[in-house]
Amino acid sequence: MRFRLNEKNIKFVLVAPAIVILLAVAIYPTVFSLYLAFCSWELTGGPYAQIVPVFTGLKNFERLLQDHRFWRDVQTTVSFVVSSVGLEFLIGLGLALILNTEIRGRKYWRVIFLVPMMMTPVAVGYTWRMMYHMERGPLNYLLSFLFIPAQNWMGDRTIALFSCVLMDVWEWTPFMILVLLAGLQSIPVEPYEAAIVDGASKVQIFRYVTFPLLYPVIVVGVLLRALEAFKVFDIIYVTTAGGPALSTEAVTLYVQIIGLRELSLGYASAVAYVLLIMVIALTLIFISWMRRRG
Amino acid sequence: MASISQKVGRIITYWILAVSAFAILFPVYWTITTSFKDPVDVFTYPPALIPYVQFKPTIDAWQRALIAPGAWWGLSLAAHGSGEVFHYLFNSAVVASLSSLLSVGLGSMAAYGLARFEFKRWKNRDIAFFVLSQRFLPPAVIVIPLFVLFKTLQMLDTYPALIIAHITMGLPFAVWIMREYFLETPKELEESAYIDGCSILQALRRIVIPIVAPGLISTIVLCFIFSWNEYLFALFLTQYNAMTIPALVAGATHSGAPLWWDIATMSTIAMIPPIIFALAVQKYIVRGLTFGAVKG
Repeated sequence: MRFRLNEKNIKFVLVAPAIVILLAVAIYPTVFSLYLAFCSWELTGGPYAQIVPVFTGLKNFERLLQDHRFWRDVQTTVSFVVSSVGLEFLIGLGLALILNTEIRGRKYWRVIFLVPMMMTPVAVGYTWRMMYHMERGPLNYLLSFLFIPAQNWMGDRTIALFSCVLMDVWEWTPFMILVLLAGLQSIPVEPYEAAIVDGASKVQIFRYVTFPLLYPVIVVGVLLRALEAFKVFDIIYVTTAGGPALSTEAVTLYVQIIGLRELSLGYASAVAYVLLIMVIALTLIFISWMRRRG
Repeated sequence: MASISQKVGRIITYWILAVSAFAILFPVYWTITTSFKDPVDVFTYPPALIPYVQFKPTIDAWQRALIAPGAWWGLSLAAHGSGEVFHYLFNSAVVASLSSLLSVGLGSMAAYGLARFEFKRWKNRDIAFFVLSQRFLPPAVIVIPLFVLFKTLQMLDTYPALIIAHITMGLPFAVWIMREYFLETPKELEESAYIDGCSILQALRRIVIPIVAPGLISTIVLCFIFSWNEYLFALFLTQYNAMTIPALVAGATHSGAPLWWDIATMSTIAMIPPIIFALAVQKYIVRGLTFGAVKG
């Protein structure tokens, strides 16, 4: 009997390839990675290199608990995410509110905003590395007009993480602005008219009209940014590379060091899995939020 | 009095906007001008900001990057040294085109299936959300198993390896966003086509695809940009043969002191395609980047 496409089987023909590929290239690696997290698999060490992973139970996680460098990286990652996304939200909201009023040339603003977002992140990193150059970089030069003393942006471990945050803010605040602006423009006029009739002040209008109506968009913007910020790698890798004194080492950089440089694949998987758990929590929140949207 | 405070408010507003525009554009301006500088002009103090006034532009770095023996013919011949940027540009173009076309091709099929047919055992929405959740998988988590897999298959540093890795980002995105576009197309149009005697494929080709074409193209472009800009997979899975342009740019400082004029040139070359493509589909970008949650 010849196989024929009909109403009954075409849906499987359509969906199956994508699902099979996802199972093979996303689910399988995720599960294999979980297995590796319970294994020792050292590819270096010459004759002592392990050709196949050896199951070692919870050993990697015991090591993880005592690994101060790892916990410091978790802390670094969380502070990076919280401060970048926080700043992006605050600046983004401010600028979106300004751009939502009668501003000429909004069209051109959209073009300007696309540049940092779409620029190759590695190029973003190098661009800022030039900006941050201590003695001769343009950033210190520009700040000198504001009587701000020259900073060692990438070399001073008290501010290096802030410098990384600043890069992310530069790159992704435009995203927040565009998202919040789209949200603001979808708010109907009627609630504002009603509020003005009732004699509400500007602050009250923002607090009781704009903010509640914008809230769903704010949640989407902040969650998506946070999800991406947890994966930060490129911009830090090409600027501070985790230094000075590991002050900017995000978990992803640690995974790269253990996995690719030390070729200690079991332990690297265990570290990566902790990152996955942090991201899963946020993903679940985002998905349940999208579900409610209908 | 109100008019004065209004005026002051307007002035402040425009000042804030001017400063933001400067803050966004200046770093890009700095990179581009640095690519036209002579080594002696790169780190003068005060920094040379204005071409022809503070420094004499030169195209040396661009010449080194673009014009070299073998640069234009036989892309892979341009091995090391000058002109090698074409090797990486070519790799990036191959990987980004194929991964985005495959992602959107297979993704659109699945999206259409999910939008138009009912799956009994699993609900369509559950399948769609499962697929969407894969988009948030951190590359750092799956890169090690993929590295092991491709090492075993002796596929490290090949196009298929990197293309497959990039499909893990592109495919979930394409399924989710294309499903939204299909759901927005009225079902009645296809139904009337069926009544007129069209087959499913004919209805797709003549009615559905023309309607979703803008969404389809913008999704391909966004997948292309994700793939073009991606670095972590390229770092783990490639060495030279399949290495993409972000890896070339990132590796520029590994040997000795950074040659800023060359790095600035490479960075400029790397950022041109994604920015131009993004401008072409700018109407769809907010929608794409928020997975349809916010319609820009």
